[in-house]
Amino acid sequence: MKILFSFFVAILAISTSLAQEGSFKKKFVNHTEFGGLFGRVKYVNNSGYGNDQNKVDSKASLSIQTFNGIHLNQRLDVGVTLGFDWYKTALLNPIAAGIRYDITKGSKARLFLTGDAGYGFNWLNQDSDGYKTKGGWMINPGVGLRMGKINSSTFTFSVTYKRQEAYADKPLLYNQTVRYEDRVYNRVAARIGISF
Amino acid sequence: MKKYLLPILFVLLASSLWSCNDQCKETRITRRYTPVSIALKELRSSVKAEAPHELIRPGKIYVKGNYLFINEIKEGIHVINNSDPANPSFVSFIKIPGNGDMSVRDNILYADSYTDLVALDLSDPVNPKEVSRVENVFRNGQFDGASWYLNQTNGVDNLTIQDYTIDYVTETVTTSCEEDFTQYLYYSFYADGGTKALSSGSSSVSAATNGQAGSMSRFALYDQYLYTVGQGNLRLFNIANPTKPTDFATVNIGWNVETIFPYQRKLFLGSTTGMFIYDNTDPASPKQLSNFQHGRACDPVVVHDDIAYVTLRTGTACAGTENQLDLVDVSNASSPTLIKSYQMENPHGLSIDFPTLYLCEGDKGLKVFDVTDKNNVDQHLLSFKKDMHAYDVISLGKTLLLIGDDGFYQYDASDPANLRELSKIPVKKAIQ
Repeated sequence: MKILFSFFVAILAISTSLAQEGSFKKKFVNHTEFGGLFGRVKYVNNSGYGNDQNKVDSKASLSIQTFNGIHLNQRLDVGVTLGFDWYKTALLNPIAAGIRYDITKGSKARLFLTGDAGYGFNWLNQDSDGYKTKGGWMINPGVGLRMGKINSSTFTFSVTYKRQEAYADKPLLYNQTVRYEDRVYNRVAARIGISF
Repeated sequence: MKKYLLPILFVLLASSLWSCNDQCKETRITRRYTPVSIALKELRSSVKAEAPHELIRPGKIYVKGNYLFINEIKEGIHVINNSDPANPSFVSFIKIPGNGDMSVRDNILYADSYTDLVALDLSDPVNPKEVSRVENVFRNGQFDGASWYLNQTNGVDNLTIQDYTIDYVTETVTTSCEEDFTQYLYYSFYADGGTKALSSGSSSVSAATNGQAGSMSRFALYDQYLYTVGQGNLRLFNIANPTKPTDFATVNIGWNVETIFPYQRKLFLGSTTGMFIYDNTDPASPKQLSNFQHGRACDPVVVHDDIAYVTLRTGTACAGTENQLDLVDVSNASSPTLIKSYQMENPHGLSIDFPTLYLCEGDKGLKVFDVTDKNNVDQHLLSFKKDMHAYDVISLGKTLLLIGDDGFYQYDASDPANLRELSKIPVKKAIQ
């Protein structure tokens, strides 16, 4: 968690230092994406009540996010990312510092790096009876492909790694006095989006 | 070549991500019961005064004059000199195996010790002495969710107690990151109830030389009798001769009675299924007036004037959560009627110093209400102390005694909206 936090701070710091040296004409940028968070989970079936077996499931969650920021120079955008991630048992709203950086110079298509780091909040989440879910730190770095001319609206495709932490208090079962769960959603996020 | 490097890197990076696994770990602490058999002979010879101990697992609390008595679950009773509430001092520890409840009249302390009722002389608080004992009066009981009972061989008591020792086991397992509703089959209530307790000012009608017990107490003093509630009955001891209590009568009541609260000429019994009201005009033979039924779990009852305050708590039950405070009109004790229910978070013990109601919310803290307007109690929350764990509370007017997982607290309650901590006796090791 501390590592994620320092990453978050680092991005903020980099953003401001980069902002100072910018001589390019700054303008507002929006990058809105829609996609899925895909992953697997391996867990102990029947969790501790005899006959334990490892079991593996696939996971897919919907995710939308919108990055709003400033076009600092020809290549770099910095801003704030707001998102909605519908995990199976939690709806989290990450608010993150984000960057978008073009690493190639094609006139029709460019590869770009994308990175967001922040905190996923549980504001809109509703819990099942007895559960209490809290959000946690989030980090989401990756690469993408931007299609479209420079200085015009572009279409994007990105593949990123997303790590989202969460915590849940769970209802007590027989003879239990404490029961909680630390969650780490490790997902690959594939998204399509538009940027202007 | 360099032109292709980045797209290749992109593909490699992307493909390495497809193996992402969610990692969810559930941590849980479970009570584990191990059966033990204890000989009564051994138990009966081990009641003695010892040097003061630290609090480890505090149970019920009892107040008598300047002295505080804190039960150490199944171990005995801490005697504390509280003449200066800002600086309470341990006086002694009375070792009483299987002790959970106590009552004090004059200089005599009555305490249970598994099957027996023990009377101790407190004239010298540093060195209390056993003066008499009524044997084999309680046949079973419960501590921390584990029942004990008197063993029998072919229907004859064999003078051993079957009990359980409790260990707390911490486990960590990986889960699917989802809610496991199938496990609801194993559901049970959070069974810490009747064991960690203490309580509120009881208003005994008889002489003022009695101490104060509370909403969670199983013992009550009234007239020349000591009332004790067991799981299925109400047992009366005649204490006309205080040093020689005698088994007097047994009244059968409903199952799972947890608490007794005497108020004016009535007895209010809290059980897991409801509240029983007994007429106690003839203290030698209480008569049932009514049984107020409600949800499945019931914790203590306190009464002021014609209103009974009952807290209900389930450990998030199968049918949902039911954590509430009920106000019940008992002006006609034969047919109590519900005034209103208020949602709470995790209510435990409570205490009333009208118009102030103190209500423990377990790990959520302590709430203080003004209950003058009985239909809008929830809108009169005077204060809410969140930074603590609260199981039960006794209001002594100007001071407030409170016990939680992490210790025993005393507050100056002259301004109920603004409690000021006077002292704290910490628990040596917090066990939840």
